[in-house]
Amino acid sequence: MAHVSDFLTPSDLQRISNLQVFARQVVEGFTTGLHRSPHKGFSVEFKQHRQYVPGDEIRHIDWRVFARSDRYYIREYEEETNLRATLIVDRSGSMEYGGSQPGQVSKFEYATKLAACLSYLMLQQSDGVGLVTFDTEIRRYIPPRSRVSHLQMILNELGSGKPGGETELGKVFHDLVPKLHRRGLLIIISDCFGEVANFLKALAHFRHARHEILVFQIWHPDELNFQFKGWTQFECMERDGVKHLLDPAILRQAYLANLEKFRTELTRGCRRHKVDLVPFTTDEPYAKALAAYLSRRLARG
Amino acid sequence: MNFLNVALLGGIAALSIPVLIHLFHKSRFKVVKWGAMHLLEAVLRTNQKRIQIEQWILLAVRCAIPAVLALAMARPLWRGSRNLIGDAKTSTVVLLDNSYSMDAGRSGTSSFAIARDETLRLINELRPGSEVHVVLMGEGGRGLLDTPTYDVSRVTQALAKTTAGFGAAQVPGALDFAAGVFDQMHESTRQLIVFTDFQRVSFPATEDALVGRALDRLKKQQVPPAVTFWDVGQDVKENIAIESLDFSRLMIGVGQKMQIRANLRNYGDANHADLHVTLKVDGKDRAASQVALGPRAKAQVLFTQAFDTAGSHVVEVSTEPDVLAADNTFLASVPVRDRVPVLLVDGAPGATLDDIKSETGYLQIALSPFASGKVELSDLIQTRVIPAEALSAKLLAESAVAVIANVRKLTDVQMKALEDFVKNGGGLLVFPGDHTDMAWWNGPFATLAPLPLAGLAGELKEGVQGVGTSGQRFDNPALELFNDPRNGSMTEASIKMWFRMKPAAQSGGPLDPIVLARLDSGDPFLAERPVGQGRVIACATAADADWGNLPARPFYLPLVQRLCVYLASNIYPPRNLEVGQQLVSFLPAASAGKKALITGPDGVNVEVAVTKKGERGVVEYGPIFNPGLYTLTPPGLPPLHYVVNADRKESDLARLNDAELAEFAKVHGVPVVHSASEYRDIERAQRFGRELWKWALFGLLALIFLELLLEQRFARPRGKP
Repeated sequence: MAHVSDFLTPSDLQRISNLQVFARQVVEGFTTGLHRSPHKGFSVEFKQHRQYVPGDEIRHIDWRVFARSDRYYIREYEEETNLRATLIVDRSGSMEYGGSQPGQVSKFEYATKLAACLSYLMLQQSDGVGLVTFDTEIRRYIPPRSRVSHLQMILNELGSGKPGGETELGKVFHDLVPKLHRRGLLIIISDCFGEVANFLKALAHFRHARHEILVFQIWHPDELNFQFKGWTQFECMERDGVKHLLDPAILRQAYLANLEKFRTELTRGCRRHKVDLVPFTTDEPYAKALAAYLSRRLARG
Repeated sequence: MNFLNVALLGGIAALSIPVLIHLFHKSRFKVVKWGAMHLLEAVLRTNQKRIQIEQWILLAVRCAIPAVLALAMARPLWRGSRNLIGDAKTSTVVLLDNSYSMDAGRSGTSSFAIARDETLRLINELRPGSEVHVVLMGEGGRGLLDTPTYDVSRVTQALAKTTAGFGAAQVPGALDFAAGVFDQMHESTRQLIVFTDFQRVSFPATEDALVGRALDRLKKQQVPPAVTFWDVGQDVKENIAIESLDFSRLMIGVGQKMQIRANLRNYGDANHADLHVTLKVDGKDRAASQVALGPRAKAQVLFTQAFDTAGSHVVEVSTEPDVLAADNTFLASVPVRDRVPVLLVDGAPGATLDDIKSETGYLQIALSPFASGKVELSDLIQTRVIPAEALSAKLLAESAVAVIANVRKLTDVQMKALEDFVKNGGGLLVFPGDHTDMAWWNGPFATLAPLPLAGLAGELKEGVQGVGTSGQRFDNPALELFNDPRNGSMTEASIKMWFRMKPAAQSGGPLDPIVLARLDSGDPFLAERPVGQGRVIACATAADADWGNLPARPFYLPLVQRLCVYLASNIYPPRNLEVGQQLVSFLPAASAGKKALITGPDGVNVEVAVTKKGERGVVEYGPIFNPGLYTLTPPGLPPLHYVVNADRKESDLARLNDAELAEFAKVHGVPVVHSASEYRDIERAQRFGRELWKWALFGLLALIFLELLLEQRFARPRGKP
């Protein structure tokens, strides 16, 4: 059984424990938390009365007011809602890349640690955390829960999966939208490889459902620098039998230009859809990067 | 294309090294499982073709680098179509311009000294076992040694003693001579180096074709030599030359005055207001004069000189010294005669001296008037009258001129003697008459007769007016006198009978008969014909008064005297020679078998044997190439002076300019060098081919830079993204 300590070192936990996650937008929820709810529900703190209209539940009628005034009023409460966050973790083949040298952290490992951090953090705050893993299609969907014991389930799922298959973000996200009934925070942890246009279309779909989206884009330094030397055979991690033998030094300039183009397109698209795209590289301490991001998030309110 | 280090050429195989490295790296690839394949594949799709081309270019450049390095180390030679000769022994001919213009130079170093030193160095640097010959270029070429030699030290010793001043350079002749020398040489590698000052007069445009033909002949030889012209000339322009000496008299006798005219020329731009000119006779100062000689001007200086003694005298006119000493002095040998023996052959049988009625009576009086008049004055011409039958080779040998007057015919022996006499420089004056046998004249005598006889003209009747001679301008030295009417007019004569002479076919050569004077009738009066070294003059009418009043006219005396002097003035063998001519002297037969002594201008005495030829002793020496005074001392006789003068065309020191030199080199396809280093480059290129290693190294550097540039351009990262 996976344990939180498999993913988070004590220092990591210490670094992020003081941080408070404030959702940029108020999400609906039932559990009392630190998040203001836009809904006037029926929880602890009374907010106001309003006149009954047909269709309101009869059980919410304040019978005392009716006794005094002979009119039907509905008693409304202001509730503190928690954050419903869904971590969408990419486990396609390309996420398995961990560099040409042994002992390096793969992008998938990095992603799972990041997901674990966030899960732990949010559950600490009684926010609901769900998990979706996918490659060419959705592999597992764990709905958001705010119970602390829910963490274990998430960690188990993160620890059990092995990356494989092609990245098809567009299709997967379209399939995912109907499963997410309530608005919430979607945290996509992926390398975002694939067609930029499809990816952005899927993001637009999420936004249409009024989800707030964070994209943690995981890069390996090799992918950013492309500093390979000597003749190298590049074998595709997602499609079997696809390989190219070449001198990377010759192609580096063109590769970097193409990379820059890809990143620019992605950044612009995300900005257009009001999606935060945060790149991480696997060589930087992920907890530090996460903390930096959360600080920025907090500052934005 | 050849290589000096052929073994290193194997290094070209190193061009395979980049290919092997390429293949090695390609075979030792590492495998990377790659996630961002979509980024890589997009790059591959758009760049693969371009990258492949670039890689081929880069590989080619990298392959070329070791190949070019190996090429450079193998020392390639570009030789055109020449055969491989390598560092072989050579047959080398050095054509050394020793004309007197080479004596000119600046700061004390003559062009000849430079040429000689370079020749010595060049010969000493020849590969051992090489064959060498030095040809001196003055007067058409002459070997320094008799034959080409493998003994280089002999050449260098002879060369060290050689000086310039040997006449004028005759380039085409010298090149032809060199071509003949190569025929005697043995090595298959041949080179001809021509050291010259490129004096303009030695390379006139008119001789360009001759030079071209001579060079072509060299190039067409079975083993053509590599020809190089080496310009050792120095730009010296100031020069004054005495170009020639003219003498006023055809022949001078003791005590007679003679005018000596020296012709001077200034080839420079300097003005000489008071140029000193001196006259020496037999080495003693006799007169001095001053003359103004402007820039590039000519001037004449006149000296009057009389000689006290008969015999051989030397006249020397000299001017102030300048950069070129050889032409500051002009020498002439002047034989002064105390008598001119003239043999009068009388056609009348039994003719004797003083017989006025004989055929030669008037001639005797006209030629030696003082002796005839019993006056105590000496005649220059001394006559001796003999009948025709007494004519012999012996008598002819004692005479300078023979006059044949109205002789019917001569025997074959006499004809032979007469022919020898004329061919060896004797003068013959012939008068026909009523005895003359036309058949003999036009037959056996035709070998000497200037023109054949066509028959008699005119008649001797009383009252018939004779014909005179036509008034004309005379070019012949003997008749020039009569161009001035004060000296008498030949038109006064009245000739009643004469032989018509048939005009001869003209070949245009120097031996053609010339009509010196004509009668009013248009028939030739006097006709001259050069025969051998002598001359024959024939008159159309008789020497006496039988056929006209010729002897009674005032011009008769000067006419016959000048004709005889003219015929006798032909000093043969000549005493004034040109460079390249042979010194010949006729001596009495008694001298034959003895030794004559010749003292050259350098003071060296040479003994020469006197050989017997016919009735004479003969001395032959030369040809002589060193100008100056040569004194021949025959056994038991007073010395005779011979002067060898160089052609004064060399005095004009103007040289071909750089453009003309370049044109010369281009037209004739021969390199012209100016220094030893230039020659070495050319020589290496000619003997071994043009070394290309420098160019190969340049190419190598260029390739390395190109490789760096291409690598940067095609591949290498430039900073982090």
